[in-house]
Amino acid sequence: MAANQNWRLIDVDALDPELTYPAELLSPPFEPVPTSAIQQLGQQCRGLVQRGESSEALRIALESVPYGADEAGKDLHCSTVVEILGSIKQSEMSATLNTIYSSSEAGSELLDTLMKYLYKGMAKKDPSQSGTGGASSGMSVLLSWHEKVVEIAGLGSIVRVMTDRRTV
Amino acid sequence: MANPEVNLLFHQPIVDHAFTTDGSVLAVTKDNSVELYERHGHGFTLKDELKGHDLVVTSVDIAPNSGKIVTCSQDRNAYVWEPTATGWKEGLVLLRINRAATFVRWSPNEEKFAVGSGARVIAICYFEEEGNWWVSKHLKKPIRSTILSVNWHPNSVLLAAGSADAHARVFSAFIKGVDQRPEPTPWGERLPFNTVCGEFLNNSGGWVHDVAFSPSGNALAFTAHDSSVTIVYPSGPDQPPQAVMTVSTHQLPFTTLTWITEEEIVAAGHDCEPFRFRGSVSQGWGSVGALDSSKSRSSSIARESSARDLFKQMDLKGKNVNTAATDDIQLKTIHQNTITRIRPYEGDAAHGGVKKISSSGIDGRIVIFPVGGARPAFTH
Repeated sequence: MAANQNWRLIDVDALDPELTYPAELLSPPFEPVPTSAIQQLGQQCRGLVQRGESSEALRIALESVPYGADEAGKDLHCSTVVEILGSIKQSEMSATLNTIYSSSEAGSELLDTLMKYLYKGMAKKDPSQSGTGGASSGMSVLLSWHEKVVEIAGLGSIVRVMTDRRTV
Repeated sequence: MANPEVNLLFHQPIVDHAFTTDGSVLAVTKDNSVELYERHGHGFTLKDELKGHDLVVTSVDIAPNSGKIVTCSQDRNAYVWEPTATGWKEGLVLLRINRAATFVRWSPNEEKFAVGSGARVIAICYFEEEGNWWVSKHLKKPIRSTILSVNWHPNSVLLAAGSADAHARVFSAFIKGVDQRPEPTPWGERLPFNTVCGEFLNNSGGWVHDVAFSPSGNALAFTAHDSSVTIVYPSGPDQPPQAVMTVSTHQLPFTTLTWITEEEIVAAGHDCEPFRFRGSVSQGWGSVGALDSSKSRSSSIARESSARDLFKQMDLKGKNVNTAATDDIQLKTIHQNTITRIRPYEGDAAHGGVKKISSSGIDGRIVIFPVGGARPAFTH
């Protein structure tokens, strides 16, 4: 064994036969969601946006998150959410979020979900795909939303994005 | 409401602290020793030091009646310290674990204590007369990761544990020959050792920092790294719980919590101030705001910033000495860093409620907060 081996990086748990930590322990498996259903939902939301009901579109998109979908499906829904976000004017962001937050018991959870999409949107390599134009403008939209969500849902919503195994 | 009593002991983290029942002696962890402070008027003076651990001491607890102190450390050992005429006599405990010990608490009847560890076991320790030493039995299944906290049910048989695998669990720690058969509780009736009476998980996961039974023992609260506090009401043995209520908060995660009454909890952690939660099984639970009543901090904290800092402020920003210190060096809370542990200090949660709580922080402070009445409802 090399003398300079970094022993702190050795995964000693891998040598323990008794250790099992299945992923299902933390997040129950979700029903698979077909991509067609996500596409349909996306179209429904886009329709609402065109009629000027972006706020309603956002709520619907956040209420029906395809946790069980495959990566492509999740990406598709993320694009839908980012598109809706881009369609709402800066001056209306706070009002929209407040409506969603106070609309129901689960309002706080909806904002947590929105936070997940904000981070996913920021992590995307090609923001032009999301339909918000260039990289910089797409990012700045997400950043403004991020600021507004933290104002309403607090730092707790950021922490929950990190702990939650129900990924979007 | 009276003001909180602030004691800055030293500039090192305090990961756990414990008071004797009368509040006259305070034990705090400091690196690999435990320091004992005696109350003198409004302050504390160092009286004794418990040395013996090789690595960082992770937890300390004082038995309220016998006065015995138990400590555990990252060196995988636990010691029981008994007061004698010539000083403290230490007794090593056979923990048989191969990772750090993380948390230790006496059972209410003081005959046992539980040690949580990174070895995915909880060692339930009891005194064996024959060998004249403390031996342990392991609670093992189904723990998947490090135990971060344990809490005893008032009957000294049931034990709750919070783990880094995001589960809060309730076990039976019944030791034959030590314990009497307990009265049935909603958690279970027949309770052989290592019975799992409940296993709870949050929606958004997050490792469980702290667990606590309610004063009656008929509810369990736990706080996880998703900034939430969850309260579980069991319905009966082998039945799904009657209610599981999660309060997701705006704050950073809480690392510690304690019950004030059967319908009130105080939790504290990375936001450096305690928050109050109130509710019941019928009405649900909610956050009712911070406990730290005075947001304009007293001079005791301003005094602490060094002359060099103040000079730097004036030099760089042309700021006045007095305002500079309060503007951006100091947090607006009393604790200047994460609160590591809160404990009841005065009053009894089961009889009339806790009147004061004590807190320890990474900033080396011990603060005693009056719990008192609630402030007006939280608006934000």
